[in-house]
Amino acid sequence: MKLAKRLLIATAISGLFATSSVAGNADLVKEGEKIFNEKKLGNCLACHGANGKDINNPGSFGPKLQYLEAWPEDALYAKIYDPYTTNPISAMPAFGKNGWLDDKQIKALVAYLKTIK
Amino acid sequence: MLLKIAKISALVALATCTLNAGGFDTQAEKDRTALVAYSEAKFKDADKNRMYFPYSTDDELKNNFPKNIKHDAFALGSYAFNSRGKSQYDDIKEMPPYEDAIDEGEELYSKKFANGKSFKDCFPKTDIAGEYPYFDDKKNSVVTITSAIDECLVSNGEKSWNMKKGKSAKLQAYFSFATMEAGKKVNLKIQSQAAADAYERGKKEYYSQRGYLKLSCANCHVQGTGQRVRAEYMSPLLGQTTHFPVFRLKWNSLGTLERRMAGCNKDQGENPHKAASGWMKDLLYFMAYMSNGMAIDGPDIRK
Ligand code: HEC
Ligand code: HEC
Repeated sequence: MKLAKRLLIATAISGLFATSSVAGNADLVKEGEKIFNEKKLGNCLACHGANGKDINNPGSFGPKLQYLEAWPEDALYAKIYDPYTTNPISAMPAFGKNGWLDDKQIKALVAYLKTIK
Repeated sequence: MLLKIAKISALVALATCTLNAGGFDTQAEKDRTALVAYSEAKFKDADKNRMYFPYSTDDELKNNFPKNIKHDAFALGSYAFNSRGKSQYDDIKEMPPYEDAIDEGEELYSKKFANGKSFKDCFPKTDIAGEYPYFDDKKNSVVTITSAIDECLVSNGEKSWNMKKGKSAKLQAYFSFATMEAGKKVNLKIQSQAAADAYERGKKEYYSQRGYLKLSCANCHVQGTGQRVRAEYMSPLLGQTTHFPVFRLKWNSLGTLERRMAGCNKDQGENPHKAASGWMKDLLYFMAYMSNGMAIDGPDIRK
């Protein structure tokens, strides 16, 4: 009885975790998309189009983003945090290093970028 | 005898003057010539010169950018190469929204100050847009058309005007229009070491990374020219100052060069610099020098 109860609670909790992490991920992607598009946040759209995404008037200052789903998360994180580590003459701003986007925001962006085919 | 001495010393003065002019503007002339060559080479055939436009689409390179854009054409800003945008621009130009502003500028020009004087006393001629900014050796500072208007007001006991829009922009529209009508060109001279230093300071600012984005003006208006920020093509440094003040659709009013600069400072993630600051004046001096010899064609319209 005790055991059954425990099991029940455990499954309930893990169920809770599972659903919340799925919902959390969808929320994160949404949050990242907002940061990507909004002028006062990441404003990535100013320079980048993104494959498979319906966005208005992307710029051509940077490359059209594609195949990012295949990038490891930490590589995407590093690109946003400080693009000079992989490309010392990049014209892309260092959003993390310059303190414009915080850790949480960059993680949300990474979640969104992972949905770009 | 006396007359002869006077004549000789006048000649000597003239000779040193021209000599100096030749000396102090050497670097600026080099920079200007290089910029003209760069701009023409980049837009000779955009479709072939893809290294300048690594992320542009085939369509825009093949169908939007004309070939062989020459020096003077860059005064049109991004409309020099954005053919599709240019046709919208031409439509608006048929009924330019700045015409009233020119008339109002003309009225402001002759309107009496409280002391009975007027702008005519500070600016006897009106076709002067190409002479600004200049370096004033006595003040040891660059004088822009905006700061000259302000100084005229203040020295006549009047209140300063907003330097970005309103009356100052309207008076500048009148000067600019008169200069264009007279067929005059940007006509700057660098005639002292102090002037050459101001030019160099301005140039350094143009090429320095700033703001949280760590972008320089040159990132966008030299390398970036022809690329887009969102849907907006970035204009070339060459010819960037010939047509101010501009009526911007976004502002729905006329604005001075200083007003436009505030927007670009924000684009870089930097707090805008004051219109009459040394930073602004030096930078505008450099920018205007890059357009030296190009026709004044303001006021104009921009998105
Ligand atoms: C001012 C222009 C600019 C802005 C704004 C900008 N980027 Fe970039 N980005 C570039 C340029 C230029 C490159 C290519 C050079 C390089 O890889 O560093 C690039 C490259 C990238 C790449 C690598 C793409 C590839 O296929 O190699 C990613 C990922 C990226 N940017 C994401 C972002 C995100 C996310 C943001 C917003 C937080 C952003 N960028 C904002 C200019 C910009
Ligand atoms: C992030 C890119 C970016 C940066 C950095 C930037 N600008 Fe701009 N600038 C633009 C865009 C986009 C426009 C509007 C399109 C155009 O060029 O006319 C513009 C317009 C202008 C114009 C008006 C051109 C015209 O014909 O009306 C001037 C002048 C100008 N910028 C100067 C500067 C200066 C000086 C700096 C540095 C202090 C600077 N810009 C930094 C993107 C930028």
